[in-house]
Amino acid sequence: MRAANGGDTAAYRQLLQAITPVLRRVVQARGGGLGQDSCEDVLQDVLLAIHTKRHTWRQDAPLRPWLYAIARHKVVDAFRARGRRVELAIDDFADALAAPQGPDPLAGRDMEKLLGALDPRAADIVRGFGLRGETTAETAARLGMTEGAVRVALHRALQTLARLRERMIE
Amino acid sequence: MNTDDLIAALAADTLPQPGIAQRLVRSVPVALAVCVAAFVAFWGVRADLGAALASLAVLKMILPVLLAGLAGAVAIALAHPGVMAGRRWALLAVFAGMLVAAFVFQLQRGGLSGLVEAVAIPSLWVCLTSVPALGLPFLAAILWSLSTGAVLRPRLAGAVAGLAAGGASAAIYAFYCDQDAALFVLPAYGAAILSVALAGAICGPRVLRW
Repeated sequence: MRAANGGDTAAYRQLLQAITPVLRRVVQARGGGLGQDSCEDVLQDVLLAIHTKRHTWRQDAPLRPWLYAIARHKVVDAFRARGRRVELAIDDFADALAAPQGPDPLAGRDMEKLLGALDPRAADIVRGFGLRGETTAETAARLGMTEGAVRVALHRALQTLARLRERMIE
Repeated sequence: MNTDDLIAALAADTLPQPGIAQRLVRSVPVALAVCVAAFVAFWGVRADLGAALASLAVLKMILPVLLAGLAGAVAIALAHPGVMAGRRWALLAVFAGMLVAAFVFQLQRGGLSGLVEAVAIPSLWVCLTSVPALGLPFLAAILWSLSTGAVLRPRLAGAVAGLAAGGASAAIYAFYCDQDAALFVLPAYGAAILSVALAGAICGPRVLRW
């Protein structure tokens, strides 16, 4: 995390990949009745929160309490909101029907909706990095932007996504 | 978009977020400028400021500033999950306890009738409205700064932020207020500052959610 806050992309990615299975178990343990894709939505909420709040971790403090505090806050929030929706009832039926798994068990539903709400270019940049694994230089070349502008656009897009998810929860 | 893709997109974003301290540095001077401008325009400095600064009345400025600093430190800790705020809370509690003790001591000397006499003056209402009015810019600045952090208890953090903002504005108001009796200052300033804390507690859950 220290390296990540210093701008080391590879280290940050490794960290996120390492904590994701742990967080997924936490989310699934808490959200017993929710469907798998709802759990994945919540997990993505948590990851976005970790990303947008990463500067609130103090370099000299242990990482684990911070991570758990962030995750707990988001999980409680997310389940409070989703519990209010009708999804829970549907998932009860889903169990009984033993519905076939979706094409991708790691896919959340909310994220696609939200990417649709972003402006097309911002969504394209996020997809470029996420789905196609582009580098900043590749994205910049493809869209005819400077690398700095791509970085800023990605940063803003992720901030907006986090804000939109918040609003969805309200 | 699946979770691995999201991680890739997150990892690619290397721009740092502005920290709370950074935002405080940017916003508090603005709040202070607004506050001082409003103070000069609508309140103005008391006539005998020089004499007051040389007397015990200078505490009317020093103590609120101390309160603002201590409460601000607690508020910052509350926006950093995993940071133990115990020692900061203890300092704030000791400080508040000393003020309450001073009030009780004065109350015993002056008696209840003395308190009523000291407080039942028009200055009371000026104080109770001026301090919150001057505190609003500070409250906005502090809440805006905290909102970039990760506050887990927004109502509490809002209240503490209000305490800090109220302390700052009370210190400024003290340059106008020419009532120096402890039996007036302690309860009137205390109630005024607490009303800003109440405003912070009301705004907190709305402003500090994430």
